[in-house]
Amino acid sequence: MKIKAQLGMVMNLDKCLGCHTCSIPCKNVWTNRTGAEYIWYNNVETKPGIGYPKRWENQDQWEGGWTLGKKGLALRSGGAAKKLAKIFHNPDLPRIDDYYEPWSYDYEKLTGSPELKHQPSARPKSLITGENMRVQWGPNWEDDLAGANVTGLDDVNFAGLEKEIYLQFKNVFMLYLPRICEHCLNPACVASCPSGALYKRDEDGIVLVDQERCRGWRFCVSGCPYKKVYYNWKTGRSEKCLFCYPRIEAGLPTLCAESCVGRIRYIGVMLYDAERVPAAAAAARDGDLYSAQTDLFLDANDPAVASAAATAGIAAHMIDAAKNSPVYKLAVEWRLALPPHPEFRTLPMVWYIPPLSPLVNLSEKVGAAGIIDRLRIPIKYLANLLAAGDEAPVRLALKRLMALRTYMRSKQLAKSPDAAVLEDAGLSPDEAEKMYRLLAIAKYGERFVIPTAQREGVENLHRERGQCGFPPQSQGRKDE
Amino acid sequence: MNWDNLAFVVFPYISLTTFTVGHAYRYVADPFHWNSKSSEILEKDRLKYASVLFHYGIVFTFLGHFAGLLVPQSFLTSLSITPAIHMRIALVSGMLFGLLALVGAGLLLWRRLSQPRVFRHSSANDLATLGLVALVIALGTYNVFFAHCDVLDTVAPWIRSILLLSPHPGLIATVPLTYKLHIVAALALLGFSPFSRLIHIWSVPVPYLFRSPVVFRQRRAR
Repeated sequence: MKIKAQLGMVMNLDKCLGCHTCSIPCKNVWTNRTGAEYIWYNNVETKPGIGYPKRWENQDQWEGGWTLGKKGLALRSGGAAKKLAKIFHNPDLPRIDDYYEPWSYDYEKLTGSPELKHQPSARPKSLITGENMRVQWGPNWEDDLAGANVTGLDDVNFAGLEKEIYLQFKNVFMLYLPRICEHCLNPACVASCPSGALYKRDEDGIVLVDQERCRGWRFCVSGCPYKKVYYNWKTGRSEKCLFCYPRIEAGLPTLCAESCVGRIRYIGVMLYDAERVPAAAAAARDGDLYSAQTDLFLDANDPAVASAAATAGIAAHMIDAAKNSPVYKLAVEWRLALPPHPEFRTLPMVWYIPPLSPLVNLSEKVGAAGIIDRLRIPIKYLANLLAAGDEAPVRLALKRLMALRTYMRSKQLAKSPDAAVLEDAGLSPDEAEKMYRLLAIAKYGERFVIPTAQREGVENLHRERGQCGFPPQSQGRKDE
Repeated sequence: MNWDNLAFVVFPYISLTTFTVGHAYRYVADPFHWNSKSSEILEKDRLKYASVLFHYGIVFTFLGHFAGLLVPQSFLTSLSITPAIHMRIALVSGMLFGLLALVGAGLLLWRRLSQPRVFRHSSANDLATLGLVALVIALGTYNVFFAHCDVLDTVAPWIRSILLLSPHPGLIATVPLTYKLHIVAALALLGFSPFSRLIHIWSVPVPYLFRSPVVFRQRRAR
């Protein structure tokens, strides 16, 4: 066993209101630069839809992630030799129009306009060519199902469902999907980088691009099945969500999590067995990947695990954080959170609690057991999104969320707690209370259990004093 | 000093000096801009053929120049590659790969000039580099098709004499003008390359073939 620590995030889709407040501070702090205008480390998509970039989930088109071949686990787009042969033109690389052509407006036309008979107008100007442009796609073009009757047909999560029926107005459903980099345990972007510029941080598993080693070969962009590595066409290098590591190291949550008004995000430490990662990513069936990944996680409250982690060199406060990890509770203990598209075999680490949705066909009476089949969002759709098509884990999570609601309602309104529904979902009243607390009223310190980085041992803080955070002179020079 | 001495003794050493010192300087002083400067994300359809043709053409042309000019003929003869066979191989492969590179470079130049997204983000340096590359290839391809001369006893030993630091400019006094232009243009490109986007050649990711797929990095005391 080789224990490593990894930061993980859970987003509770049941509470996401699609306000994009997460995207804004992220954009303002990290990608508000020339060449990065089109880059959103954090974006929020409306499902059903094809998302950003277009059809990112469809690996028949992009060839991202891993696949299980005859010789075991391999990058879907081919190994190192095949990559080098395609280095002059990468057929799997998205073009800017697959994201969108960034634009702005000539606001001076408005602010500097003399008094006119008609209102002055500011036309959209491309931030790439500077010319006038027709805006035909944008970072969130499908907001609240706009055009989903067209784009929804290309949503791969409809596999096994009659998508034409679900895209009819009377049947349509929707959910929001906020997305950041998954900081995977088996990252395909890292394995795809010819320069070795992408790496996982040993201390906390954050995946980063070393900007001084990146040579701009762009295989990380096509290799990532979530399309969360981006090529900055101005700097000629790739960049990606950095899990706000400067904040994380100070014990603060990422900007997206900090700013979330719905408080849907949780950040915590997970201990896992790195030795078993290759085997887990090579699980025989796609449907086995969820349980294979969950089995990698270790219970930090088990004294044997805690002492083994300490022996493996994991800092004591990291282990303490793992003991209180909200991510461990939601993903492993309660099985509420699920990994997005585990079939990509990267073992992602930003998980989602599937959303409940309005009930349909209420004319018929159904028991507590059948009620989740009345949810407007088809379970199969969520299973395709969060469990490689396997409905069982989605059903368990939804059943537990539903049971929790019924129980809390009975407790608070009828004053006669109905523990029977809990039992049916495999929960005890005590567990339900804890779940309720974490899902509904958890405060900052409960949602974000983030250990500060221990830098005192590895850096000469006296020497770094006064220059920390400033790039070397070579990076500050000529901004091209 | 006559023009031949200037072009084929002084200029080669200036070029080789800027080539070596320039690369070392740039690698140390400007690591942040050491990359391939790809514009594939902005324009992909025209790049598909242009870039692939150009790169495969130029890589094999380069290997051909390396093997044909730097390896002494006496060594090749011992491998029973006679000068006649050598010349034939050189001409045929030169025609094939030179043409690929020329067509590719032409298409790349056309793409860079005609596509607003790419043109808008081409620096003067990018245009000069591509123009110079295209010029060198055009002259070389012209030579291999239309202006044959006995390279093995003229240009090849001259290059070796330069590298061995005992220059004999007399060796190429008699070669056709287009050969001389090709050489001078190539030397100019060589000297300019450290300051251009061509530095990406040195980053051919060979270690990737032997690396473990997932990379971990630990913070270490500095």
